[in-house]
Amino acid sequence: MKEIVWESIAGYNAATWPWQIALAAVAYFLAAVLFFRPCTWAKIAMKVFMVAVSLWIAFVYYMTFGSARDYSNIMTIFWCMMALTWIYDIATHFSSFQRSGRFTAAGIVILFLPLAYPLVSLARGMAFPEMATLLPSSVALFMLGMLMTFNRKINFFAFIFILHWSVIAISKIGAYDLPEDALLAAACIPSMAIFFIRSMNNLTKECKPSIKAVKALILSVTLALTACMVLVLV
Amino acid sequence: MNTMTDADMTGGQVREITDFIAKYLSYMLGAGVHTSRVVRNSKRIGEALGVDVSVHTSQKTATLTVKEKGGTHMDTMVVDIPAFPISFEWNADLSALSWAAHDKAMTLDEIRAKFDSLVSKPGMNPVFVLFMVSLANASFCRLFGGDMLAMLVTFTATMIGFFTRQHLTKKKVNHYIVFIVSAFVASICASSSLALGIDTAEIALATSVLYLVPGVPLINGLIDITDGHIQIGISRLVNAFMLIVCIAIGMSLTLILVKDSLL
Repeated sequence: MKEIVWESIAGYNAATWPWQIALAAVAYFLAAVLFFRPCTWAKIAMKVFMVAVSLWIAFVYYMTFGSARDYSNIMTIFWCMMALTWIYDIATHFSSFQRSGRFTAAGIVILFLPLAYPLVSLARGMAFPEMATLLPSSVALFMLGMLMTFNRKINFFAFIFILHWSVIAISKIGAYDLPEDALLAAACIPSMAIFFIRSMNNLTKECKPSIKAVKALILSVTLALTACMVLVLV
Repeated sequence: MNTMTDADMTGGQVREITDFIAKYLSYMLGAGVHTSRVVRNSKRIGEALGVDVSVHTSQKTATLTVKEKGGTHMDTMVVDIPAFPISFEWNADLSALSWAAHDKAMTLDEIRAKFDSLVSKPGMNPVFVLFMVSLANASFCRLFGGDMLAMLVTFTATMIGFFTRQHLTKKKVNHYIVFIVSAFVASICASSSLALGIDTAEIALATSVLYLVPGVPLINGLIDITDGHIQIGISRLVNAFMLIVCIAIGMSLTLILVKDSLL
């Protein structure tokens, strides 16, 4: 299975590298516009880009180049659902892509982590085209970076899908020899605590148990998930 | 025993008692309390206030007749049963209220004030419920023999499914559609474990939709039938059965897409 995965990655990279560079350029251009000159068209363009890049992963990466893998159709459906979360966002303005002034630095670091994927591959002694590039996990990482940088009101649907993908990424580290995917899990688990705890602070009506108790639960689950992921890796 | 005795009760007072008991029993039925307890508690409050209460219940409405003990005043009312979330807290609190009314000889105003304070307590934090349900499903996965990775997949798949359910319910989408969509979303996400080659992937897939199983209507339906409330018992079982069919539709969609078969 591992050989099939790497063969599909190599085929994908060899055939689509100009497109991958173009997609990355558009992604960082739109992120820069949103950061320095936020405006409505850039917000919508970024959401449309999220839809496009999710569909790219679904149909180009999984359906075309990854079709030899077992159950690649599930991953195609999953990334179509990821695209749906962003379409829903465009329709309902679920996320605002506005900075809140908090965790911006962490967001920027996560935003640039996808660029580390090929660097880690090179450091491991791999060579083009058999290396990690614009893969599903790096796309998920970019989405996470966007949510973290512009976290005033985030798309929770997309975030929970990214969280699920980080669990999948953890399993791929050992199974497919893809240690680059550890970056996604390492960024995603603390993000879960940050996003949910922030959502507690924004609660408008009184609920039970107390906000303090729920925050403690979120932190406990974050620690438990981290421990489980480490155990899976070991 | 009570400030409102048989001698001084008027038609207006009987109407007030009827109004309150109608509200009381509709809240209890709406919160998922089984029928015989609702009837018993309503009669107990009536007893405390000096009236006889007769109740007929169905899935959507309840009819009650309140009659002054030893007098001539009586009132009949049909009340809609609101669809509240299942609440064991209301079940316990409102049952305790009926005992307090009986034992402490509370007046109607006192009972009403206590009732209002009980039903206006803050609701559950949605994030807390989201995390607890996800943890519960991950625990089910473990109980059925799932490994660590299957548990993690079940946790996040349940989180996606339950968040979808919370969101659609908030948007007032038809609850059968909510069940189908939530079951489909949770199971399709859990099916990603098949692609990863996890040994216990099918356990993750099966347990990812357990949070949708309508346990309370199933149990209440059976209790109602065994207590002689056959009509509402069957209604509740049919309602639960419809929800189970919706879960099956959602999961079947996943299985057909993923495995080209239902088995």
